[in-house]
Amino acid sequence: MFIFLISIILMTQSCQQQSVPKDSKYLSMVGDIAHDPKLDDPNFTLCDEKKTKQYHNLNEEMQYEGEKYALNNIFTTQYKPTGGVTDSGMIRIRFMVNCKGQTGRFRLISSGYDYKEKQFDKTITDQLMTITKSLKGWKILTDKTGPKDYYQYLIFKISDGQIKEILP
Amino acid sequence: MRKSTNFIILWIIIFVQNISTAQNCNVFLYQKDTLQYEACLIAEDAYQYYQYSREYQEILDKAIEKCPHFSFAYRNKSTAYLKSGDFITWKYLIDKAVEYDFRENIGYRGWCKFQFFRDYQGAIDDIEALEAVSKGNIGYSAGGQYHLKVAKALCYKQLGEIDKAISIMEQYMIDSTNQISVFDHLHLGVMYLETGTYDKAITQLNLQSKQNDLAENQFYLALCHQKMGNTDLFTTHITKAKEMYLRNQKMIFHYTEPIDRVYLEEMDKALSLAKE
Repeated sequence: MFIFLISIILMTQSCQQQSVPKDSKYLSMVGDIAHDPKLDDPNFTLCDEKKTKQYHNLNEEMQYEGEKYALNNIFTTQYKPTGGVTDSGMIRIRFMVNCKGQTGRFRLISSGYDYKEKQFDKTITDQLMTITKSLKGWKILTDKTGPKDYYQYLIFKISDGQIKEILP
Repeated sequence: MRKSTNFIILWIIIFVQNISTAQNCNVFLYQKDTLQYEACLIAEDAYQYYQYSREYQEILDKAIEKCPHFSFAYRNKSTAYLKSGDFITWKYLIDKAVEYDFRENIGYRGWCKFQFFRDYQGAIDDIEALEAVSKGNIGYSAGGQYHLKVAKALCYKQLGEIDKAISIMEQYMIDSTNQISVFDHLHLGVMYLETGTYDKAITQLNLQSKQNDLAENQFYLALCHQKMGNTDLFTTHITKAKEMYLRNQKMIFHYTEPIDRVYLEEMDKALSLAKE
């Protein structure tokens, strides 16, 4: 039972980040997004970057006003499949939600259904990015010390240019 | 009695799966595989760090440097990429784990494809590949809530092969040596509902109520009674579903959303339609 408790503590522990040695190929945490002045909104700020969480760290499912149901409806109504574009595969947009519920630092990766990196037509990715950036319903995640910044992602499963599913 | 025994067994499964993220290195010594033994000793240092952390990844890299076919390190490295949605890096790493230890990792990869990426065909292929080389029980999902045969059935359902899904579920649940998990009756009940066999659906959903009652369970019971024209029972169950939902007595996975999950909006819509 002791080992079990230790493993639970390790799984749920606060992920306080340390500074990264210059010779490391890794950032502090897998999936970290460093601020890029060329890409990112200068007005988007974090409360305490070193204590940034993952969306699943607080033992809750993804937190959006109106739940995933509302999120699905937004993309269903706003995303317009473009004629002739038949791309298929997966697109992930990862971003940060700060302690005020604002979003920033959006990054995109994409692959075919074979999980191999692949570029999608920009008419698809640009729309998904625009809609994702416009989402206003991300809830503020709080632990016992107060509101936290956190990482969130959305994966879009695309078939023949149309959104088939949104994850997680 | 059966209910409490089921939950104790399930917790044992989850407990064993949690501690199995660490590995007994002596297994490799017993197999006279000194390279994997040494890599395993290096990997032990990683467990003090969070699996997303640079330190965790670097220690496992050192273990792989020591033994390039140490599948355990690839699998554990892959987890943070899985949970952060990086399907490209995850797949590269988990494929390495499968390549170096097929029997140990193919079922896990199949489960992850299903849970995190809703890759139904990919999951079926992996679980069936595991069945082809397994003589006994093929085991459970990473969290312990699903037997891999149930996961396979859900994948078939999602691909539109609902009769096949029902057949797999029935075969699995009729075997008294199999452990019925926390959502099995619910999923089979929903499959019956979707094929219009409401009596069977209600039987399964009532079994789910006795084992682990959830808002989803009450919601689908309401739909069954609505289809059968039992307006009063529909109202009773949909009202109970909403109450349970608001008490958080619902299906919750921390990383992803489960199949057959229901949202508050859907319950409100069903209620308002019934009042019209």
